[in-house]
Amino acid sequence: MAAKEYDVLIIGSGHSGGMAANVLTKKNLSCLMLNAGPVVDLEKDRSVKAAHELPFRGLGEPGRNPHIVIGNEFNANQWVDEREVPYTTETNARYDWVRVRLVGGRSLFWARQCFRLSDYEFKAKDHDGFGDNWPIDLAELTPYYDRVDSIFKVVGRKENLPQFPDGKFIDIQEGPESKATKDITSAAKDRGIAVSRMRFAQGEGGLASSVNLLLPEAAASGFLDIVPNAIVREITVDKNTGKANGAHFVDRHSKREVHVKARAVVLAAGTLESTRLLLNSGIANSSGVMGHYLIDQLYGCKVVASLPEARNGKVKPGMIGGGMFIPRFRNLKKGEKNNFLRGYSLPLGSGGGADPRMFREYGPELQKKLDEYRGSCVQGGLYGEVLPRFENHVRINKEVKDAWGIPVLHIHAKYGENELNMAKDAANTQEELYKAAGFEILYKSDKLFAPGYSIHELGTCRMGDNPKTSVLNKYNQSHDIKNLFVVDGAAFVTGGWQNPTLTISALSMRASEYLAEQMRMKNI
Amino acid sequence: MKSAGVAPALLLPAEVLAQRATGARSAPAIPKLEVTSPDAAGETVHRFFNEARFTALRRLGELFQPKVGNAPGATEAGAPEFLDFLIGASPADRKKLYNNGLDALNAAAQKKYRKNFAATTAEEADAVIRPLLATWDYEPPADPVIRFVSEAHQDLRNATVNSREYAEAGAASASRRRAGNTGLYFNPIP
Repeated sequence: MAAKEYDVLIIGSGHSGGMAANVLTKKNLSCLMLNAGPVVDLEKDRSVKAAHELPFRGLGEPGRNPHIVIGNEFNANQWVDEREVPYTTETNARYDWVRVRLVGGRSLFWARQCFRLSDYEFKAKDHDGFGDNWPIDLAELTPYYDRVDSIFKVVGRKENLPQFPDGKFIDIQEGPESKATKDITSAAKDRGIAVSRMRFAQGEGGLASSVNLLLPEAAASGFLDIVPNAIVREITVDKNTGKANGAHFVDRHSKREVHVKARAVVLAAGTLESTRLLLNSGIANSSGVMGHYLIDQLYGCKVVASLPEARNGKVKPGMIGGGMFIPRFRNLKKGEKNNFLRGYSLPLGSGGGADPRMFREYGPELQKKLDEYRGSCVQGGLYGEVLPRFENHVRINKEVKDAWGIPVLHIHAKYGENELNMAKDAANTQEELYKAAGFEILYKSDKLFAPGYSIHELGTCRMGDNPKTSVLNKYNQSHDIKNLFVVDGAAFVTGGWQNPTLTISALSMRASEYLAEQMRMKNI
Repeated sequence: MKSAGVAPALLLPAEVLAQRATGARSAPAIPKLEVTSPDAAGETVHRFFNEARFTALRRLGELFQPKVGNAPGATEAGAPEFLDFLIGASPADRKKLYNNGLDALNAAAQKKYRKNFAATTAEEADAVIRPLLATWDYEPPADPVIRFVSEAHQDLRNATVNSREYAEAGAASASRRRAGNTGLYFNPIP
């Protein structure tokens, strides 16, 4: 039986793959989407349970998901099982790679924070001389950001700050600010630091996933076939034309191998899975930089402070409560002197209590402390930029294979002095602001979480104008194979401090429209 | 005996074939049977830690998570027995952390008071434990004994508040504040 040839093969179904399907089917292009895991029904496949009803009393199955810090026994089944799909790292160089293979991918579970990159990120080299610029700028991506904002229903407050570009926000009624947040905002303002509110996707019913915002429309068009449980092993290339012509996938259950054909291939498997597939396929790497410039975002650096007059149950209405968001404020002026490049943002929350781990106490004394501090605390972390460095990279480890016989990734990622200095600055800044607002520091740590923890791994197939130093052009199109596109986070040149989902979605929209136009013009 | 080439349908019982012939497709109704949990029916048997280590862990549980009011403590919640099972099923590095950590508590108690940690008074135990308490968030300190105390503290606390006993006591309390942990459980992926 001759296999059908699709116009476009899309590998992956998260925000980037969902956006590609949404755009391409609107152009009447027949699309096949392959996804490594099954379709789930969030209503039927989840139920409220008590921890004691679980096999391991909620403490988790030993040895499962050791790198998923946010994982627990309740959500263990939503993540990729590391025993099935392992990866390797350098000795003593931890990397927390968090993956989801369900249809919809990580878009099912993301925190929905929506920030645009600014030209401080797109043109970072122009600003501080380090690394490389993107081949695009904010103005070029703005129309796509606007459209993604509308799809996601992004909520935010306009600030008119160049490092924190405003979006096409939907209106919501903001609650009144508490005295504590006003005091922190005032302390920040005295230091030239702007305080804003979190920006996030409202989506539908609290879900802003490809499965509810992007894929339904594509599926209804009649131009999209979705094959779940299809683990792609290799992208195939026509020896005569040098163009991608489809892919081999392995059925997750039976391990039967299947080949599918397409006129173009869009890779959207999630940054490192996309790169792993390209490296395993041995294609599109004439530059030699594929796998390099792995970046993510700095998380960690926890500071907790308490408002003395709010302790021991003395919290009064309006005294404390509410969130704040401090966008990047360091290294915005040329020549500004800090012991690190780039910058970070601070997400802050107030009105909560303290974690038991913040006290050197146990038993009744610990409980007394927890009761004393309940409702009196402000705490924050950081979202920081990681410098793109050639030496942070992934490569194939042929010695280790996953449950389907596919060689795994070896990940080499380490933070350097720039990241460590940035974390110290973030901790000191928080301490200064909290103290100035009348809080007392309860806990302060400038330690960083391991690379990968942010679940914002980026780069490894970066875009650029020069085919010798980049894998993709400015349309996410392979320099080497013109009908091959990588539309997920692998294309990033710099990561910034911003949650990358909005940018990934906007880039995928733009790349998919470009692909459709090139196909219409018979250039592909 | 199943012979090669026989279609599976021919092997079905006659009543199933008859049901299909009449078009009846619904599955037979099975009355819902009430079941009970292992914890409600019995106690976990401890078999991983030796006696000196297990009694040290139980003493640690009494100190870290004692019974308060109607809320069961680690002992009443069977937390040490549960951790004996959990650590026994864990990777080698976690087993080593616990074994060496419990040995260190016994060694410190022997050195100071010539008795095992399990036999220490509250005051004596505090003198052993307090220098080993640390604050942390993402990852406990690197020192193996301090790391053990940090992890054991968290594990004993979680094994207690996540227990059936804790949930039942909370459900029976007026405030229901201590109803135990609940969450949205994701079923195994088919």
